Amino acid sequence: MSALFAPTLAARDRRFGYAMAAPAIVVLAAIILAPVALALATSLFDYTLMNMTFDRFIGFDNFVAALSSSEFANSMVVTTLFVIAVVALEFVIGFVVALMLTTVKRGKNIYYLILLIPLLINPVVVGLIWRMLLHPTLGIVNWLLGGIGVPDIDWLGHPGTAFWTVVLVDIWHQVSFMAVLLTAGLSALPTEPYEAARAEGAGTLQTFWYITLPLMKPVIAVTLLIRLIFAIKTYDLIYIMTRGGPGDATDLISYYIYRSAFARLNLGEAAAMAILLMVIVIVLTLALFRTMRARG
Amino acid sequence: MRVNMLLAATALVAVPMLAHGQTISILMESVPDTRFVQEVVPQFTEATGIEVDIEVVNYAEMHAKLVPQLVAPEGSYDVIVVDFYWVGEFIKAGWLQPLDDRIAESGFDTSVYVPVLFDLVGQVDGTTYMLPFYNYAMGLTYRKDLLEDPENQAAFEARYGMPLRVPETWEEYKNQVAFFTDREAGFYGVVNQGLRPDPIAMEWSNYLFANGGQFHDENWNPTLTTPEAVQALEDYKMMISEYGPVGAASFGFDEAFNVAAQGQAYSYLTYNMFRTAYDDPEISAVVGKMELAPVPNGGLNGAWGWAIPVSSPDPDAAWQFLQWIESPEIARQRAMLGGSPTRFDVFDDPELNATYPYYPALRALLDTAHNFPVFTYTPELVDIMGRELSLAVVGDKTSEEALAAIQEEFTELARRDGKIE
Repeated sequence: MSALFAPTLAARDRRFGYAMAAPAIVVLAAIILAPVALALATSLFDYTLMNMTFDRFIGFDNFVAALSSSEFANSMVVTTLFVIAVVALEFVIGFVVALMLTTVKRGKNIYYLILLIPLLINPVVVGLIWRMLLHPTLGIVNWLLGGIGVPDIDWLGHPGTAFWTVVLVDIWHQVSFMAVLLTAGLSALPTEPYEAARAEGAGTLQTFWYITLPLMKPVIAVTLLIRLIFAIKTYDLIYIMTRGGPGDATDLISYYIYRSAFARLNLGEAAAMAILLMVIVIVLTLALFRTMRARG
Repeated sequence: MRVNMLLAATALVAVPMLAHGQTISILMESVPDTRFVQEVVPQFTEATGIEVDIEVVNYAEMHAKLVPQLVAPEGSYDVIVVDFYWVGEFIKAGWLQPLDDRIAESGFDTSVYVPVLFDLVGQVDGTTYMLPFYNYAMGLTYRKDLLEDPENQAAFEARYGMPLRVPETWEEYKNQVAFFTDREAGFYGVVNQGLRPDPIAMEWSNYLFANGGQFHDENWNPTLTTPEAVQALEDYKMMISEYGPVGAASFGFDEAFNVAAQGQAYSYLTYNMFRTAYDDPEISAVVGKMELAPVPNGGLNGAWGWAIPVSSPDPDAAWQFLQWIESPEIARQRAMLGGSPTRFDVFDDPELNATYPYYPALRALLDTAHNFPVFTYTPELVDIMGRELSLAVVGDKTSEEALAAIQEEFTELARRDGKIE
C-alpha cells in the first residue's frame, strides 16, 4: 500500500517540471486566458461603450444577431476568399523562391536581406506606400504602365480590382515570410535521399515530388498554419487602403468587428463575433494538423 | 555625477515654482489648428503660471484614447476637444460638464460665435457644454482662373444659355463640371472623395442639401427616400463615373486634394481648411488659382468644440484656459496664424480680412451651412451611409435600394435614441 503513496522518482520529476513551468503558465493565463474569458463574458451581455456594465445578461442574443446579419455573412465570404487567395499564392511563390534560393551559391545573404525588407515594414506603412504608388492619375505604377500603352487601372476604386489589389499588396508584404521559413526547412533536409535518387537516375520533378515534398511536410504544415491564422486576422491593410470598400468588396471580418466595437459601440456583439472567429481558427488549426500528421 | 548635481539643483529651484503653478493636460488631434494653439500657449503659462501639456494624436486614435479617461472617476485630461460627431454620444453618456454657471460667473460672451457653430459644438438642448474651437464646414473649391477666362465664359454661355460665374444654383455647378471635363486631356470637372465611411458620407451630404433634401423632418423622421435624396445620389454617381478621374470611388480627402492641387480638376467639394493649402507651393501646382465658395443651397457644417470633462482633475484651471484661449485677442492671434474662425469679431477684423481675402466666402459658407444629424448614434449612421453609398457608387445597389437601406437603419437608430416613437 505505502508504495502507492510514496512518490516515485518519475512523479517527483514531473512535479518539479510543473513547478518550473508554473510562472510561465500563470503569465500566459493572465495575458491570454483572462482576456478570452472576459470576451466570452462580454459576448453574453448587452455591453456597449455607452453602458459599460454587466447589467443585462442576454444569453446568445449577440451571436444570433451576428449570424443573422448580412454584413457579417458578406465579410465571412470576403475573408474566406481573401485567406484562400493570399495563403495559396504566397505558398506557391514562396516555395518557388525557396527552391531557387537553395541552389544559389553566392550572395545568399543579400537575397535574404532583400526578401526581409518588406517583412520588416509595418503594415500601416505598407498600406500608405501602396496607396500612393497606386494612385490612378498621380501614382508611379499607372505612369509606368502608361509608358507601355496600358490605360489607367482603377486599382482600388472598382470592387473586383480592389480585392485583387489588396491581395497583391499582401503578397508583396508577406511572401518573404513563406520563402524564409521554407528555405530554412529545405536547408535542414538530409542529403542522402537526394544522392540515392540521383544514383537511381531520378529527374528533377520526380525528386521534388517524391523526396522534397514528403520530407518538407511538417515545415509546410507549420508555415501554412501560421500564415493562415495571420491572414484571417488581416486588418491594417484594409483600414489603410480601402475601409472595406468600394461597396463591401474588401470588408474583412476583423475590420467589421472593429467597426462593431468602435463605430457602433456594441462591444457585446463585437465580442460574440470575435469568439466565432476564434472558434473557426481553432477548428482550422486542428483540421490542418490532423491532415498533415495523417499524411506525414 | 555633475549631471546629477545639476539635475538636483534644478529640481530644488523648480519645485517651489511648481508648487505654485499647476499643469493642465489636453488631448488634441494633429491638425493645423492644434499647431496654432501650441504656438500661442506659452503666453498663457507666462500670464498664469499654469503649464499646459498638449498630447497630439491622430484622429483615429482619439476616440479610443478618450473614452477610458472619460468613464474614469478622475481622468488624465483637464480639457478635451470634441468633434461634432461625438457630441450626442458624450452628452448622452454624461461625460461633459455644463458650462453655463462658469460662463455667467465670469461674464464670458458667447454671442460672438456664429450661431450655426454654437448649435453644433456649443449648446445641446439649451445647455452649454462646449465652446466652438474651429470650423471645418465644407465648401466648393474651384479654379478661379478658368471661371474668369472670357473665352470659357463665352463658350459656356453659348452652350448652356447661362453665364459662367460662381455657381448660385446646383444646376449651374453641374453644368460647369460637365463643361470643364476633358477626359482625353486628363482634366476633370470634379474630383470626389468616395472612400468609406466618413469621406463619402460627408461629401454626399452636400449633394443632399444642394438638391433641397434633408436628413430628417422636424420630428426626426428620416427623409432619405425622397426624390431629392435619390437625385442627390444619382448626381454623385454621375460625377464619379462621367466627370471625375479614375479611382475617385476610393479616394480619401488626401488623394482627392492632390488631384485638385496638381491642376487636374476644375473643382473639389471639401473642408474649407484646404483653401490655404492650395496656396502652398510645396504641395500645390495651382497657387493663387483656387477659390472657395459656398455650395449652392448650403453645404455641410463641421466643427470641433472645447469642453471640460466630468472626469477633469482640475476643472477650475481648465475653465481659466478655455476663457483665455477663446478670448478675443488670442482667437485673433490663432486666426492670424491660419486658424479656421468661429467668431464674428474674428470674421470682421480688418487686418485678418486683408490677409485672408476668402473670409467673406467662408462667412457665407457658414451662414448657409446645414448640420449633420447629431444624436447618440452619429458614428453608426456615418458607417451605414458609407457602406450603402459606396455600394450604390459601384453599382451593386440602385440609388433607391441604398437609400431605402439607410432610411431603415437611420429610423431604427433614431427610435433607439428616443428621437421618434
